[in-house]
Amino acid sequence: MKTKKRSIAPYLLVAPATIIIVCVVFIPVIQAILMSFQSYDLRRPNAIKFIGLGNYIEAFTDTQFLNAVLRTVIWVVLGVGFQFILGFVLALLLNRQFRGRGAIRAVSMIPWVTPGVLIGLMWRWIYDGNFGVLNDILLKLHIIDSAIPFLSQKSTAFPGVIVTIIWQGIPFFALMILAALQGVSRDLYEAAEIDGATKAQELFYITIPSIKNTIYVTGLLRIIWVANSVDVIFNMTEGGPAYSTQTLSVYIYNKANALNLGYASAMAICLALMLLVVVIPYLRMNFKEEKS
Amino acid sequence: MKKHPVTRKAASILAASTMAAGLLAGCGGAASGTTTAGGATTKGASTAAATTKAAAGAATTKAASGSAEPVTIKFQYWADNTDYSQLMQDIIKKFNETNGKNITVVGEEQPWDGGAYSENLFNAKMGGSDVDVSTWKLTSTPLYVNNDLLLDLTPYIDKWDKKGDIEDNIYNVMKQAGGDNSKIYVMPWNIQVLYVYYRPSIFEKAGIDHTPTTYQEFLDDIKKCTMDTDGDGKTDVYGFGMRGAKGGQEPWGSFIYGEGGSFDDLTSAGSVQGMQDFIDLYKNGYVPPTATSDGFNEIIANFKSGLTAMTIHHTGSSKDMEATFGDDVSAFAFPAGKGQWTSMGDTETVIFKSCKHPEAAFEWVSYLATGEGQKMWCEGTGNVPVSKTVSQGDFFQNNRFMKASLEGESYAGILPILDTTTEWISTTWPNTVAQALTGEISTEDCMKTLQEGLYGK
Amino acid sequence: MKYEKPGTKALRLILLIVMLVFILFPFYWTFLTSIKPENELYGDTVTYFTVHPTFEAYKNLFTTTVNFLSAMGNSLIVAVSTTLVTLCVSTMAAYAFSRYDFPGRKALMSIFLCNNMFPTVLLLIPLYTIMRKLHLLFTPGSLILAYTTFTIPFSVWLLLGFINDLPMSLEEAAQVDGCTRGKAFIKIILPLLNPSIVATGVYIFMQSWNEYTFAMMFTNTATRTIPVALKSLIGQLGVQWDLLTAGGILTIIPVCIMFFFAQKRLVEGLTAGAVKG
Repeated sequence: MKTKKRSIAPYLLVAPATIIIVCVVFIPVIQAILMSFQSYDLRRPNAIKFIGLGNYIEAFTDTQFLNAVLRTVIWVVLGVGFQFILGFVLALLLNRQFRGRGAIRAVSMIPWVTPGVLIGLMWRWIYDGNFGVLNDILLKLHIIDSAIPFLSQKSTAFPGVIVTIIWQGIPFFALMILAALQGVSRDLYEAAEIDGATKAQELFYITIPSIKNTIYVTGLLRIIWVANSVDVIFNMTEGGPAYSTQTLSVYIYNKANALNLGYASAMAICLALMLLVVVIPYLRMNFKEEKS
Repeated sequence: MKKHPVTRKAASILAASTMAAGLLAGCGGAASGTTTAGGATTKGASTAAATTKAAAGAATTKAASGSAEPVTIKFQYWADNTDYSQLMQDIIKKFNETNGKNITVVGEEQPWDGGAYSENLFNAKMGGSDVDVSTWKLTSTPLYVNNDLLLDLTPYIDKWDKKGDIEDNIYNVMKQAGGDNSKIYVMPWNIQVLYVYYRPSIFEKAGIDHTPTTYQEFLDDIKKCTMDTDGDGKTDVYGFGMRGAKGGQEPWGSFIYGEGGSFDDLTSAGSVQGMQDFIDLYKNGYVPPTATSDGFNEIIANFKSGLTAMTIHHTGSSKDMEATFGDDVSAFAFPAGKGQWTSMGDTETVIFKSCKHPEAAFEWVSYLATGEGQKMWCEGTGNVPVSKTVSQGDFFQNNRFMKASLEGESYAGILPILDTTTEWISTTWPNTVAQALTGEISTEDCMKTLQEGLYGK
Repeated sequence: MKYEKPGTKALRLILLIVMLVFILFPFYWTFLTSIKPENELYGDTVTYFTVHPTFEAYKNLFTTTVNFLSAMGNSLIVAVSTTLVTLCVSTMAAYAFSRYDFPGRKALMSIFLCNNMFPTVLLLIPLYTIMRKLHLLFTPGSLILAYTTFTIPFSVWLLLGFINDLPMSLEEAAQVDGCTRGKAFIKIILPLLNPSIVATGVYIFMQSWNEYTFAMMFTNTATRTIPVALKSLIGQLGVQWDLLTAGGILTIIPVCIMFFFAQKRLVEGLTAGAVKG
């Protein structure tokens, strides 16, 4: 069990991290929260005043906002879901002994190392409706018979950007799961094999339970991260065409860039509240488990 | 919840930030981040200092009189490519060596960032940045003027000996952007007039023997140039490269005016008809199907690869076009229909109110507007000069693209500069037009949304 | 060794190849773009390799105004410093959260998790003011402080997850053997955490190596980092594809090489004997 004794040690240990965070972001965040209750549009600084829940009410009558919320849910569920599945598979593959493993582990990290601006532009280039390599491959394989303008039509633009975020997020999961797998005891597998367990049983009864803390945490962090991510979509489509790739974070970014900070802050708080719906059950479970 | 009419001024940001800084000072020692920073800081700062010293040294040697106090002006700019970046650095160097007034301009480059340059700079200025002078786009003027960040240049221009070297109508455009039509906050630098690029060889193939003289003829030529050259039933050459992504409002405006519409009333019959023409081109396959997301890169790539026969841009891309096609590319000014309009792109400079040496800063911006800086920049980039003297030079008189630009200058205009314009350009226009192109909303609804986006409901 | 059906092995190989193709193709395409002559870029046909490779772009990165070498140096200073600082403070905090129960613990943990929920674009003006008042503006220090702030929360939670996966019994055994708590941490936990610390370190490094918004706001020509240098290659007159992709390759390669060495610490079985769950 955890040490219950009153001691100064834990406070000393958490102090540096806490101080840095509080000093740098505490006041800006409080300010942003206050802005969300004001008509804080810097294009009209003389008209800034307290408007209570005005921005929030506006958001819930704004179809762009509501669509963006829905899109964010799809974006997070599909994006993080596939990142996790593919990252997990990759981690399992890379956890085995084989020649050249180090090199393959290293190159698997490439999507993550690639600068955001380049990711957006390269994928845009790959998807291009006129010179894009994806169209060229599909045409050559006779899967399609005329080029698809992937990012120019509503039906394919959003799936297009989701594939890109999946691509970008695989290494993160792979790396974290790979690290966690190192802590799983060999003995457990040996015992299971003696009992005649199948590979699938081993996976679900040994591997996953042993690293579940890591899975929860990485999943949770990734959800927060992907929900807030802007640069992939922004560099690929800027939220278009016809708003079809405008997630909530992109909408917030657009409004913030237009200097309507009050409305942007209100939407950002809505996004944070949505994330809390995911975070709170996790924290509850986490704290409850500690007790038992 | 009850509404309280409590007024919170923008200044609250500053007050709270001061609190933040106070808080920080209290805990500075504990933040281990700061310790590491210390060592690195010195290096960065000393490099900067070295640069300044070298530049200042050069300035003092040349300035034989040496009577004036040394002054440093912090100048921020964006460069559209590495050549322009080099060119700007050369101009700065030349100014520092020759101004004779002990002024040293220190250039700081920032990314164009898809137009977010202005917002990034705004955030920095609101946070207390010490930039003195910056390159500029007219559309962001209201934002900065409303927040009281720009220096009123009117008194400086009035007593400036070269005031007459710039056309009055250019000053008028600058005044309009300032809001109350009396003050000039923005110093003219260079302009770009949009015209139509075309490929003579494709025109010939389509049986067109002269460039269009009317708007209707232009639309017909787009249709004629749309061809299936290899007989496989698919279009290989599109008549026109339409820009549907951000920035597309500029060429689009010419269609609106071609049918007699205008930016003043986007819901008028003429404006709606212009939009309809635009949609018809897309629906009937006279422009590439990617048009809804095509930005500058794409329209240029499509034109350069021969996929499109015509597209609209300005002299900024003419060098590149000539390098690709030699003689097989030319230009004409956007033809007249019921009305005639083409977009005037603009780049200016501003001086911020926070600048401690406005006289010296004005010396620098005027060097860019009419002096050697103007000549070097416009010759190097192919932009249209604002200085009458400079535009008389051979370079500008003997160029076919410059000719199309100067032809269009008489009816070239800019979007109404309102505080809504920037957002309208970056999100409202591209998304609403894409909705209309794909048939999601009607032409009338599209124009209504655009009207409201600009002027409010 | 255990017997394995040949089918399983083949399946695994195919799976690995498919994933690697998906992961690496865009990288290959970036590289190809960086060495293609421009007329092949927008040609009638898409080419999958080039017979006229040109490495001009790589040279231009260092000889023109891009000044990529200095950007790489700045990025390295910032990323390494951030990684060290964040790792130190986060490991301490994560250990405290995992092994101590103290008043305020849950609140602090929750605050840490929520810290990164707010989009940074809304915090730019006050952050700029803070950096200016601290006299950190235009120095690598500003970025180190900003990145540390935004990587600590995730790092603490990641490390917490890893530490929670390690059984408590290990340290208890050590303490029974007469080790102090601190000694038990250094001798027992830290070696076991090695793979996790490497993984978290990689996370922090990547975040600070690739961040754009803060880098653009808080640096100047002398201190600019890679993402800003790359972004400056996209102007109003289009993308300088050759330079941008060459710069991208040069951003990726050193990190991959570093990771190649770091991943040796992610060795399977290193800890297997020690952990008995």
